[in-house]
Amino acid sequence: MTAPGNGLQLKIEGVSKRYFVRRGQPPIQALERIDLTVRTGEFVSLLGPSGCGKSTLLNIVAGFQQPSEGRVLHNGEPIMRPDRRRTVVFQDYALFPWMTVQQNVEFGLKAQGMDPGSRAVIARDFIARVHLSGFEDRYPHEISGGMKQRASIARALVPNPDVVLMDEPFGALDAQTRVLLQEEVARLSADTGKTVVFVTHSIEEAVFLADRVVVMTTRPGRIRSQVEVKLPRPRVPEMRYDAWFIQTVQQLWQSLKPDWQERSDSDAKARH
Amino acid sequence: MATRLRGVVGFFGFIAIWQALASLGVVNSFLLPSPLVVAGAVIDLTVDGSLGRHVLASLERVFVGFLVAAAIGILLGLVTGWSRSTSDVLKPIVEALRPIPPIAWTPIAILWFGVGNAPSYFLVFIGAVFPVFVNTFTAVRGIDRSQINAALCLGAGPSLLLRDVLIPASLPIIFPGLRIGLGIGWMCVVAAELIAAESGLGYMIQQNRVLLQTPNVVAGMVTIGVIGFGMSALMGLFERRVIGWSQSTR
Repeated sequence: MTAPGNGLQLKIEGVSKRYFVRRGQPPIQALERIDLTVRTGEFVSLLGPSGCGKSTLLNIVAGFQQPSEGRVLHNGEPIMRPDRRRTVVFQDYALFPWMTVQQNVEFGLKAQGMDPGSRAVIARDFIARVHLSGFEDRYPHEISGGMKQRASIARALVPNPDVVLMDEPFGALDAQTRVLLQEEVARLSADTGKTVVFVTHSIEEAVFLADRVVVMTTRPGRIRSQVEVKLPRPRVPEMRYDAWFIQTVQQLWQSLKPDWQERSDSDAKARH
Repeated sequence: MATRLRGVVGFFGFIAIWQALASLGVVNSFLLPSPLVVAGAVIDLTVDGSLGRHVLASLERVFVGFLVAAAIGILLGLVTGWSRSTSDVLKPIVEALRPIPPIAWTPIAILWFGVGNAPSYFLVFIGAVFPVFVNTFTAVRGIDRSQINAALCLGAGPSLLLRDVLIPASLPIIFPGLRIGLGIGWMCVVAAELIAAESGLGYMIQQNRVLLQTPNVVAGMVTIGVIGFGMSALMGLFERRVIGWSQSTR
């Protein structure tokens, strides 16, 4: 088990993001003055209803998008573009369907110019760590959603990044697979000691996995509150029945309910 | 299997009706020779070596024109698909040139290149380049953004991104463009040879029309059909081998 270090890994300074949807119309304020720091080795969950800008924030940290205002520092340097010190696990897996599981997992090493022999060995090791041994030569369309996400997690870990960014990684999976993969991520993050930023709209998932839950509100996306999770790591399934865990999940739900309600009301209105 | 059987039934049914019409004298056998007569003509032309020579001439032209069209169509499609500013410049030009049928290029092709292989190369190119370009462009525009992002955050540079992500992701859509392009190219080569060549299947058909050898004319047409069918089948086979991964996701 690796305790969260004291070093500062990510520093989000006054980040705002506006989208211009249509000419002549006011822009949509997706994020408003977000300040957040993430320590080295820390596991942070970004929790909020859909449309609160949490995925936008993750994309900005990854370097896929630029903020309208503010900046994000990685080890003190401003993030200008994606690089392999921050890898991403996507909700839709984003595996390359023309590559086998093995080739997908090797991709980050291939990008570094590593020779085929060495990268095959490393990739096989990571494939074993996500329990996919025996499926190395399968194509993504030949394996289940849960297995795809395991492959995608292995692919993100292989280049040995500082930070793993996970964007609602289990959103498309059934409830049981979801629970199993949460435990897998709990184990892997404790083993590797990686800094993780994990976007989710599941309160239970956020509390179960994270050292700190950052609660966001809907448009404009702001940070509403932060909850330190004192449960020891690695997180194990029994902790879901811990009194503190249950109470924290309930409290978060109570405080978030109005936001969620408003969100689903406006969604319903938009549909009519 | 049933599909293939029905195909065979349909094909031989067509031949049988054609033969019956000719044998019963319903159609003038000078204007439409019977399948047996045509088959005889094919054999005669094969034996005297002229059919083979014309086929090779046409094939050579279609392959040169098609290869150039494929290379340029894919290259331009990749560049314009990727870079919005390039596409802003090139798209209007392409969209204005695209509706001009290859046949309409024939007179100017003869002016520019005279008679021989060159106008045929050019016309095949004109016929084949647009479907390849349009499909490649569409393919690159349609690539899943998160796959590109995944490659970038894993540290992929421009050449790896192109080779391992952009091109393979586009192939399932580029391939039908190539198949359509080759088909159009094959039509164009025959059209070009009718006017602007002194060999090839189109030239052979034209010569035999002048000589009133209708069986040879139809024999030439049948050969064009069979070769076109064969090329399409080969492309399909090649396509399934290269992009087998995408078959079950469609």
